[in-house]
Amino acid sequence: MPVVELAAVTKAYDSKVAVRDLSLSIDAGQMFGLLGPNGAGKTSSIRMMMGITMPDSGRISLFEKPFDRRNLDRVGYLPEERGLYKKMKVLDQLVFFGELHGLTREAARKRAVDWASRMEISGSLDKKTQELSKGMQQKIQFIATLLHDPGLVVMDEPFSGLDPVNATLLQDALLDLKSQGKAILFSTHRMDQVEKLCDSICLINNGEAVLSGNLREIKSRYERNRVIVEFQGRADFLKSDEIASANNYSGHAEITLKPGGDAQKLLHLAASMAAIYRFELVEPSLEEIFIQTVGGKANA
Amino acid sequence: MRNMLLVARREYLEQIRGRAFRISTVLVPALILFLLGVSGFTGRKLAGGRHIAIAADNASLAADIRADLLGGKRASYTIDTVAPFTEQDRANLQARVQNKSLDGLVIIENSASASPSVTYESQSSADLLDTSRLTEAINAGFLNLRLAQQGISSFQVHSLVQTVPLETLQVSSSGKTGKSQGMAPFYAAMLMTFLMTMPILLYGMDMARSVIEEKGSRIFEVMLAVARPEDLLAGKLLGVGAVGLTQIAIWLAAAALLSGSALAAPILSGQMKIHFSVLEAVLFPIYFILGFFLYSAFFSGLAATCETAQDLQMYITLAVIPTWTSFAILPFLLNNPNSPWVVAASLFPPTAPLVMVPRIGMLSAPYPWGQLALSLALMVFSIWAVIWLASRLYRVGILMYGKRATLPEIFRWLRYS
Repeated sequence: MPVVELAAVTKAYDSKVAVRDLSLSIDAGQMFGLLGPNGAGKTSSIRMMMGITMPDSGRISLFEKPFDRRNLDRVGYLPEERGLYKKMKVLDQLVFFGELHGLTREAARKRAVDWASRMEISGSLDKKTQELSKGMQQKIQFIATLLHDPGLVVMDEPFSGLDPVNATLLQDALLDLKSQGKAILFSTHRMDQVEKLCDSICLINNGEAVLSGNLREIKSRYERNRVIVEFQGRADFLKSDEIASANNYSGHAEITLKPGGDAQKLLHLAASMAAIYRFELVEPSLEEIFIQTVGGKANA
Repeated sequence: MRNMLLVARREYLEQIRGRAFRISTVLVPALILFLLGVSGFTGRKLAGGRHIAIAADNASLAADIRADLLGGKRASYTIDTVAPFTEQDRANLQARVQNKSLDGLVIIENSASASPSVTYESQSSADLLDTSRLTEAINAGFLNLRLAQQGISSFQVHSLVQTVPLETLQVSSSGKTGKSQGMAPFYAAMLMTFLMTMPILLYGMDMARSVIEEKGSRIFEVMLAVARPEDLLAGKLLGVGAVGLTQIAIWLAAAALLSGSALAAPILSGQMKIHFSVLEAVLFPIYFILGFFLYSAFFSGLAATCETAQDLQMYITLAVIPTWTSFAILPFLLNNPNSPWVVAASLFPPTAPLVMVPRIGMLSAPYPWGQLALSLALMVFSIWAVIWLASRLYRVGILMYGKRATLPEIFRWLRYS
């Protein structure tokens, strides 16, 4: 059963329609990627899920019930615009957010200390937020989002501003949450992370869903027309009639086949001209699907 | 409700622990004490230790002036008289003024003529009180002298120039008369208006600055996902209001401790004696809290439409106009606390907190209870209306970044929410 569900949701500001007829649902234990170019309507959709703005039409359900603010205690939200009280001490801040989400003071304090240890910021609990680096503040915000053990985690660009080590730390924490059966939605421009982490995606453009569903199913809908060849010898096979376009980087060629192009014929031709070390027919990357779907207009 | 109280507690504790609170709590009374100290010091300097010499061509005139000056209540002088005097005496006395063994020298010549010459020499420019006191004593001396020259005995002179004290009585509408407090209610009115205005405006602006600061730190989106904007606004109002009351309580406690000290004497005695009735003491905190909520909610709503503290500047006038109006009303209040303008100002919510309490102080029983109830009801209703509007501006405004909203945009925001 879906933890969060949007059904035909529309939101407009004056003449600008931010979200049009959007439907999506996220189940428990599912990691869901909300993708789209800048201004596509991702943040507007998330804000409606969080009750920050109200939809003009359509229906939003949380935990199988019509939207009710009281259920927001079970949601953890990390907005794209990060915000912390700069002059407040880190521990006080975490306890405050925990209490706002319904935890007792003692429980919030205990969980804050545990999470700080896990995210390797224990030494900063007594410091004021403004004394910490941006990456550290990002981790504090991440903890504040998860402190109350929410059933639904909504994260807008969670990896922005993090170095690879900390990004991995956060990624592992998200995978843990997923394995605990939490529903996780994140909006990002980082296609590699979506491919690695998400089970399902919804790609929105100009406020409308243009592609949605299980990531594997979506990818399988696209023809495997890309070939990677590593070779030594003559490169004349790159002029084959089977090929629509090819880039050759000194023995490493990336080839796009024509519609209906025969990869086997190309392999035979290549083998007759050069020594072949690798010949791989690859599925399109999410980035390619993204660009192809939004008509190359994405500036993300 | 729980979230509102959590927000209020956070706001209160963070501000109370902050350096700004500690500094302002200590600095404001320190400044007042300093001013009182300066005034006390100046007063003492005026009141005693002034050593003056009077050189006159008429000994009786010099003695009269000396007696008048020494008989004054406010000032005590050491006064030497040299009458009649020689040029050598004049030179000696002037030398003493130069070497500061004398504070001042009065020289009276041609006292018998129609246009006598009177000069006052001193190293410091003569202060207002000194000069007016001297002028008064010298003129009284000349009056005595001239009347005596007309053959009127000194006893007759005394009875002729005897001043008559005017006793002022205050008549209540029930016909009872009581002793009037003279200027005391006016000073009390000024003090109360000032005490009410400054904290209300300061804490109101503090609220606004806090909203802009938090808007800048992008904290609101996180907060709005757990709390309603109304709770955030009300929590903030409660927290900052409690900070204000704490600070005022500290100041009052300090004032109570200091009230017995010599420094407080100038405002607790004499002509500037200030008296507050029990009703004023009850109404003051009520109107203070209502005024604070009204102005702070108003400022918070406006602050949500601004990006920086500079953007807020243009709105300050909106708050300053009612306070100016209240101060401008004070003379009318002194003349007639029941004049239509004063009654209107004591009912109009933005000016009511600043006018109603001093007005009650100027009246005697029976008080206009109906007007008081109406004023409080109007205040409560306006606070509700302003919080309602402000929370709508707040809901949309705190998520709008980039620039200060224009008036049409503000109206659109009210429609969205």
